[in-house]
This record gives sequence, structure tokens and C-alpha cells, in this order.
Amino acid sequence: MRFSEDELRKITLNAIEELGEKASPDLVKKVISRAVSSQSSNDIKPAGNSATEGRAILTAFGMNKPGIVAAITNEISKYECDIQDLTQKLMDDFFTMIMILDISTSNLDFAQIQENMSRLADEMKIKVYLQHEDIFRAMHRI
Amino acid sequence: MNYEFDEILETIKMTEIEHFDIRTVTLGISLRDCFDPNINQAKKNVYNKILRYGKNHVKYAREIERQYGISIANKRVSITPLSIPFDAYNWEQFVEIAGVLDKVAEEIGIDYLAGYSALVQKGFTNGERELIKSIPYALSQTKRVCSSVNVGTTKAGINMDAVMMMANVIKDTAEKTKERDSIGCAKLVVFCNVPEDNPFVAGAFHGVSEPEIVLNVGISGPGVVLDAIREAGNVDMNTLSEVIKKTIFRITRAGELMGRNVADKHGVPFGIVDISLAPTPAEGDSIADILKAMGVEDVGAPGTTAALAMLNDSVKKAGLMASSSVGGMSGSFIPVSEDQGMIDAVERGNLSIEKLEAMTAVCSVGLDMIAIPGDTPATTIAGIIADESAIGMINDKTTAVRVIPAYGKGVGESVDYGGLLGKAPIMSVRNLCSKNFVMRGGKIPAPMRSLTN
Repeated sequence: MRFSEDELRKITLNAIEELGEKASPDLVKKVISRAVSSQSSNDIKPAGNSATEGRAILTAFGMNKPGIVAAITNEISKYECDIQDLTQKLMDDFFTMIMILDISTSNLDFAQIQENMSRLADEMKIKVYLQHEDIFRAMHRI
Repeated sequence: MNYEFDEILETIKMTEIEHFDIRTVTLGISLRDCFDPNINQAKKNVYNKILRYGKNHVKYAREIERQYGISIANKRVSITPLSIPFDAYNWEQFVEIAGVLDKVAEEIGIDYLAGYSALVQKGFTNGERELIKSIPYALSQTKRVCSSVNVGTTKAGINMDAVMMMANVIKDTAEKTKERDSIGCAKLVVFCNVPEDNPFVAGAFHGVSEPEIVLNVGISGPGVVLDAIREAGNVDMNTLSEVIKKTIFRITRAGELMGRNVADKHGVPFGIVDISLAPTPAEGDSIADILKAMGVEDVGAPGTTAALAMLNDSVKKAGLMASSSVGGMSGSFIPVSEDQGMIDAVERGNLSIEKLEAMTAVCSVGLDMIAIPGDTPATTIAGIIADESAIGMINDKTTAVRVIPAYGKGVGESVDYGGLLGKAPIMSVRNLCSKNFVMRGGKIPAPMRSLTN
């Protein structure tokens, strides 16, 4: 668990106030640990694991054949990911699909979804990439 | 959809087809608190500290690679220039510390650890003399340790005693590692105006003004720039510069995002993005190919320096727009052995050391990964270092020399290290004597432009 400087200052000030002039090592320990635990239950989140936060972009390519979209969306629905947008294009026989997923609701983490999708891609003989949305925002938006 | 179809496809194309990767995430660790009069205790301190901070470095970088679908070629560690914390040691003790660095680097799963370094532009402390003396032993007895010595700055001038000393160190290192094509010299850089936050090994170290620990990132991406220039076709220079800038902007943004996320995972501050275009021996991942795509027949043709200057300047402009934390070398690298296009140009006889020297005046970093005949006299190597340092000192820029006097080999032969270090054909050096100049010793005084106040 990590604290920001502000949070540390708040904990320290609370402890000083509570202790007054009767501070002893044991008492300090008790007061601080109480302050830390109450702080963490209130408004401190554990250091964010951005891999499971936010949205991901799934891109699939391959030779067109029936059932690609169905297979992918079916797989996605198993992980309780929300499909927020979907675009699909055919260039001659070449199939391309781009999907924006909200993975924060998923019961799997990013790496697991990625692994399952690559297994599916192998079965379907297509290519599937799953990347965190941040990379697209960083590269294409000022 | 918030993103255009084409934007997403372009990103995929960059990562999957054009070799776009992040060249390095380098964890800088201060060793200033590791000194102990007892060398065994100091060895423990060094080992424990690097292990404590670095043990998850590779793991975290891999997680970020997966998250964004962009690979990070190198995960490395840089340390405080070793002569600073251990100034009281003698050369044998420095070699012992090098052994510890090698071992801990292996333990945390990285290929190189850099910072076996000294900064002697204005003179030597006792420890710095000892460290420089120990370099040939340290580099021949370890696999992963990289060394660098700064011999000049614009503010201080050039320490010619250090230049001569380093020429001898390079020769010794070549001899001590002769079984492996003098590979020790590939891990040894002599600098002028060395940056303190450079993430690129072998010249990396964790500068004295850096925090306790920091994560720096070096971008890459010559392949992406090459394709963009080829696609642009026959356009004028202004348009070409725009094309390069747009591409570099994206690369830098991706690099910074990934660097920041690796730093977050470590829970350490993010330092800088080094916006250097760094080639690899892989096909298409070449600065030489970019210069050719810009219009010169081969690297070495008249016009090459101008093309490189424009490339380098466009890279900087776009990088500065993309990130507020630009640092390190930040320019195009033109190593010979690590760039297939450069190797070809040398083998065809189109590229000489003199032309490379001119090119280093307009880009980072210097005469990099150049193999020269093993019988080149140390005084000639000192002349090469002095020339390169003078370019750096007068132009207020970083320059460096990483030459390999391949022991027992001559022009027509080559050294081959495989992997990222690549293969270097041995280039001819002018057979003229510099001895009476370089043996004068003393210092070349700081130039006019050091007085900027």
C-alpha cells in the first residue's frame, strides 16, 4: 500500500493531536497503526493496477470466413467484458475487426484475456491483438 | 468510435510489421551509500541494493509489454559512476566489485549493467586513476559490466592525459579479450559531455545529481521512420521533415507511456525519455536505410551529413512536442556494427572513418562500434578520441568513441559478436602519426563558449 505525501501528513497530524504530551513508543505505534488502517479503509486505494482498469482495444485480422465475429464476441461475453464499440470491414477477402472493450467489469485480468484470445486466434487461424487503450490515446491524440 | 479505423491499423502496422519497439527501460540505482572500508561488506551492500531494487525489473517490463502490445528490447540497470562511492579503493578492489556487479546482473536477469565509470574531464582523484587502470581487467573478467569514462566537457575542456590513458586502456582491453574478437572494447565508451541520465548502455550511468532511484526509457523505431519516408515518396524537404516529425511524435508518446508505467510498477520516479533513433542489426531497422530513402545513393555520399542533420533535428522537434521529460542523448545513433546498412556501406568502400566523424558533428553520439586494425598505435587512437572530443566540446554536444582495435586482425577482416552488438568490418585508419600532439599531455583549455554567463 502506498500513501501520498498529503495522506502521510494527515496521519501524522492526527497522531500528534491524539497523543498530546503523553507519547510513549507503544502508544505511538498503536495510534499510528489505527490511523493507517482507518485511512486505508476510507479513501486510500492500493497502488493502482492499471492492467485491469479501463478499456482495451481488440483488433482481429484474417481471411474472411463465416463465424469470426460470433466466435470472438462469444468468447468475450464469457469474461463479462462490455463491448462498447465495434467496427468491421472487408477488404477483398481480408477481414478486419476493431472492438473497444471495457475490461474493468471482467472476472479475468488483462493477461488472462489476452492468453485466451490468442488461443482462439490460433484455432480460427486469424490474428487477434489486445492492447490497452492508453497506447492509442498516447500515440494519436495531442 | 473514439479512434479512427486507420489510426488503430497504423499502430498495429508499426508494432507488427515495422519492428517498432522500445529500445530500453533502464533502472538507475544510486550506489553512493554502499561504501564500506571493508571491501567484503561493500560487496554485500552493492549486491543487496541492486538486487532489492532490480529484482522485478524484467518482470515488470514484460507485463507492460503485454499490456500495450509493444515489445521492450532491453531491460537494463545503470549505477552511480563507480569511482565516486569507492574512491578509496585500489584497482584490484574495483575488479572485485565488477565481479559482484556481473553476478547480480545475472541474478536479476539482465544482459548489461552500466556505470563502471569515471568523470575525469578536469583531473583525476586517486580512485579514478585506479578505476581506469582496472577497466581492462574488469571488462575481461565479466560479461555484463559496461564501462565509460568522460574525458572532456565544454565547461572544462579536454583532459589529454585521460585521453592518452583511455587509448592505452582500449588497447589493453582488446588484447585481454582477444579470444572473443576483443569484445571488451564493445563495452567501453570514451565520452565528451556525457549526459547523466542516458538510458542507453554501454554509456549509461546514474549521474550524481540523479535521485536515489529512477527509471529512464530509450525509444527506437528506425523501421517506422523508414517506412514513413518511403511512403511519402518524392516530396520536398519541408514535407519530409513533417513526415518524420509525425512518426517520431507517436513513437515518443508510446515510449513515455510505457516508461511511466514500468516506473509505476516499480513505485519509483520516472526520469526521462531519450528520443534517440537507435538501429539494430535486424533488416529494415537501420539509420543507413533512412538516409538512403531520403535520397543519397549510399551512406558516405555527399549529402549524407545534411540528410542526417535534418533527420536528427526533426526527431528532436517531434520528441520535445511529445514529451516534457526529454533527456539523455536524444539524437540518431550511427553505430556501424549494429546497423546492417552501415555495415554494407563500409564493405562497399563507401563509408570512411572521416565521413563518420563529420556525421557525428550533427547527431549523437560519435564513432560508435567501429572496428579498426589491431595494430593501430595507442597514440593514433588517442588522436581519434581527441578529435571526437573536440567536436563535442566546441559544439556543446555529446560525442563518444567506442572503437575496437581488433587484436590480431586487419582491414578486410571483421569482428562478429552476434546479437545486438552485430558485426563490424575492420575499417582502415590513416597511417599518419599523432604521437607528438597527443603525448604533450595536460589539458586543452575550455573553449570560448564555456563562458556563457
